[in-house]
Amino acid sequence: MSLVDSSLISLLVRALDLTAQRQQLVAQNIANVDTPGYHTRDIDFRGELQRALWAGQADPAAGGAPFVREVPGLIERPDGNNVSIDRESLLMAGDQLQFQTEAALLRSEFSRLQEAISGGGGQ
Amino acid sequence: MNVNLANPGIRILPADLPEAGAPGAGGEEGFGESLKQAVAAVDNLSLDARYRVSSLIQGSGADVHDAMIAVEKADLSFQLMLQVRNKVVQAYQQIASMQF
Amino acid sequence: MSLFGLFQISGSALAAERLRAEVATSNLANAETTRTPEGGPYHRRMVTFTSQPGSQFHLLLANSLAAEGGAGGVRVAGVVEDPTPPQRRYEPGHPDADADGYVSYPAINPLQEMVDLMGAERAYELNASAVQAAKQMIQQSLQILK
Repeated sequence: MSLVDSSLISLLVRALDLTAQRQQLVAQNIANVDTPGYHTRDIDFRGELQRALWAGQADPAAGGAPFVREVPGLIERPDGNNVSIDRESLLMAGDQLQFQTEAALLRSEFSRLQEAISGGGGQ
Repeated sequence: MNVNLANPGIRILPADLPEAGAPGAGGEEGFGESLKQAVAAVDNLSLDARYRVSSLIQGSGADVHDAMIAVEKADLSFQLMLQVRNKVVQAYQQIASMQF
Repeated sequence: MSLFGLFQISGSALAAERLRAEVATSNLANAETTRTPEGGPYHRRMVTFTSQPGSQFHLLLANSLAAEGGAGGVRVAGVVEDPTPPQRRYEPGHPDADADGYVSYPAINPLQEMVDLMGAERAYELNASAVQAAKQMIQQSLQILK
């Protein structure tokens, strides 16, 4: 039933997955802020989301796990750690808001479908 | 019955009758076929939802939001199927109650 | 959000930073301790952190960088004694003075320990808010079902 797999819903679900994955990486970076030699990790959130937007349902790879990479351009401290507390805090705040928005939008999409299905009533 | 009531002299052979599952023009999928596919799809969604929820409860790494979404999708598609079924039953009853 | 993965990551960090804070506090408190039950002055202690690899719970592992170190959080690899030799101060009247009149004091710089302590506290707070963020996101996930 492609009703529940509309492109909008698929996109929102993908966005939620990516936001959750990003937040997991942020938590990991924060947890390792004092680990010698640890380098900050992240995903290319916009890139992954764009791929999902363009691919629609045709590209199976667009639904796979996002690519994790090290973040360039961060300053390394003497112990080899390059985690920036400020960067991670900002990302964390952003992730929270983002997740909330995506979930709310998805909720309203589902509500709309619900209405359409059961609001049919008579002829 | 193979007898054409209007013209008793003409016999309608079984081969002339459209197949029970294909009321439309020849070559199209019948309604019965779409209904079977719809039921299979709803079944898949509900299996997926159940798998995700149990995986969530057991702590084997399923994300909460994925489980919630799977449940909602299964629920919506089931409701849709229910509504379609109701409409079909309604239509049947209307036809069945017609007096010739 | 995965219920258990995230709490393992942030939870491990909370435990590790708390231990680090305790060690720093202990160093501060014993900065002037010249006599311990084992004999000799108190020795400064340090914690070493190491990242933990992710467990099999992490289903979304696209590439090796996602799977290796850090995905399971962090742990304290060990609490070790600082090998720096003790400070020796000339105090002939001190009960713990040796034959030459020198007393061995722990090689502890209180400023250094304070900095460590503050760092541990800040990291602790940060990880605590990561737990809060996860909690919020899970609650919002539940909202999807209304």
